[in-house]
Amino acid sequence: MDSKMFFGQYGGQFVPETLIPALDELETWYNKLKYDRKFNDELNALLTSYAGRPTPVYKAENLSKDLGCELYLKREDLMHTGAHKVNNTLGQALVTKYMGKKRVIAETGAGQHGVATATAAALFGMECTVFMGEVDARRQEPNVKRMQLLGAEVVRVQDGQRTLKDATNAALREWVASVETTHYIIGSIVGPYPFPEMVAYFQSVIGKEAKVQCRELGFDPDCVVACVGGGSNAIGIFQGFLDNKKVDIYGVEAGGVSDKDGEHARTIGMGKPGILHGAFSYLVQTPQYQVADVHSISAGLDYPGIGPVHAMLNDSGRVTYGYVRDDEALNAFQTLTRKEGIIPALESSHALAYVIENKEIFKGKKVLVNLSGRGDKDMEAILARGLV
Amino acid sequence: MRGFYIVGGYPDRQQFKKCLRLIAESGFEFVEIGIPFSEPVADGPVIASAIHEAVMNGVDIDAIMADVREMKAEFPAIRAIVMTYANIIHGYGEKRFSDDFADILSGVIIPDLPTRMHYWMTEKGLEIPIVPFVTPVSRDEDIELISGTQAPFVYYISIMGVTGSDKKKRADNRPEKAAKLTGKTVVTGFGIKTPEDAAKALSATGGYIIGTEAVRRQKDFREFSEYIKQFA
Repeated sequence: MDSKMFFGQYGGQFVPETLIPALDELETWYNKLKYDRKFNDELNALLTSYAGRPTPVYKAENLSKDLGCELYLKREDLMHTGAHKVNNTLGQALVTKYMGKKRVIAETGAGQHGVATATAAALFGMECTVFMGEVDARRQEPNVKRMQLLGAEVVRVQDGQRTLKDATNAALREWVASVETTHYIIGSIVGPYPFPEMVAYFQSVIGKEAKVQCRELGFDPDCVVACVGGGSNAIGIFQGFLDNKKVDIYGVEAGGVSDKDGEHARTIGMGKPGILHGAFSYLVQTPQYQVADVHSISAGLDYPGIGPVHAMLNDSGRVTYGYVRDDEALNAFQTLTRKEGIIPALESSHALAYVIENKEIFKGKKVLVNLSGRGDKDMEAILARGLV
Repeated sequence: MRGFYIVGGYPDRQQFKKCLRLIAESGFEFVEIGIPFSEPVADGPVIASAIHEAVMNGVDIDAIMADVREMKAEFPAIRAIVMTYANIIHGYGEKRFSDDFADILSGVIIPDLPTRMHYWMTEKGLEIPIVPFVTPVSRDEDIELISGTQAPFVYYISIMGVTGSDKKKRADNRPEKAAKLTGKTVVTGFGIKTPEDAAKALSATGGYIIGTEAVRRQKDFREFSEYIKQFA
């Protein structure tokens, strides 16, 4: 029926009826603003003068030598607030302003999206509430404080596994109650249509920039690699290269500790199609169709679902989805820090770890890794592992 | 039409069966049985925490439905309706769910399947009528979509929020519109607690459903039956 809502067979609007008018309103505004000169000028000005775009593509010479490939990093870690998330929150906050709503809510896992939303809300003078699972809030306490400093109310969610999935449930409940005055800034390319499309659009700047920057350096990459939780940084960089069939594209899921139930977050690798948070996509679930517990050392990847676009790209074979374990991500974290003087987020460390662990595949190739965020927020988890 | 919602298999199988039977023998027109799903995004704290407890103890769909079948055999007049989230029915299989349970169910309520998405499950073989929702923000075009519904009633969510919210209801002509368009009874849900609330809803829209206040008492059968009997 409504094929625009679907990516292949995935996507849709699996939400309470109460949200339907708001989703329609959002779709109308988004489709209008996407082509609106004034909106785009305003957004681009913010992305450059406020948030720090364009971010550089950096050739990691030391690591390249060790790995036997040419390793390039798209430096989203240099963005204001520390990750690619702000590309999306500035875009959606601006949409919120045009829609005339004065309050935003958000879910957050690692806290990066929460901080990026609180930042945009402070800038636009909007009221802001961020939902964060208690477990995540504890492992990312500095981000809780940052959000509060920025003026946001942080609700520590005590339901379920008390991580990103439960924070998203809480945000959806709050949105149902306040939808007439509040916009829900979803942080990834998940959720009901039009969110997956809109968030992918706001993150497409990563790939568009990277493609041009690589060309300026005289090449198209042979391979592009990004970590995937919900999948927004990945879809952001992939969009610069999906139509170039010569580029091999890799998405890296969080392999956690093992493939045992509850010890990984391999949504595509271990899940099967199901419905969560508004969309039909791959989902880690139990044999009784309950959403399963997942685990990752990285709070941002500790999520049982994945954006419907990635489900489609997996099925079509255009993107290869692999995984690395917690320890491999930690090793990559340490390696990049020591060899290049860049402290990456644990999420982004998964993408890098995939290249390190599979260096035979990448030998002699030009490899572009999306370094989606920086690791300041992960200090506590790192210190707990005794790495310093 | 008067009905109650209880959580299937909660707090254990025996207690659930007693609660189910009590509603049936008290002469209500329908009973709504929840099949617990780990992500109850349309439910407030009372129902969500009952569901979480049920999920932790393990959800056995076959056992819940066997109990419903047993109750229906004894009380054929009461309508049984299953309320569960989309992933449960899709995971079980839309066609298989219909083949197994169409004979005992008058409808399914799927809180994360809005009217415009009904086709997604019916084209996969769901033959049990899906109860449509009308909300305080439904537009004319949303209400028009439900005109051909085969469901026994239309579910009117009378407040903006999740189950058990305390928000104030708004004056609203949407239930009337929906009744006229579908020829069905409109059942008011969300926020109904007392016999007075229920009487008001019954005269305003023609029906009510009580969920949170029933589930709150589902662990204590004496309390549960005292509560339910006030409405009989």
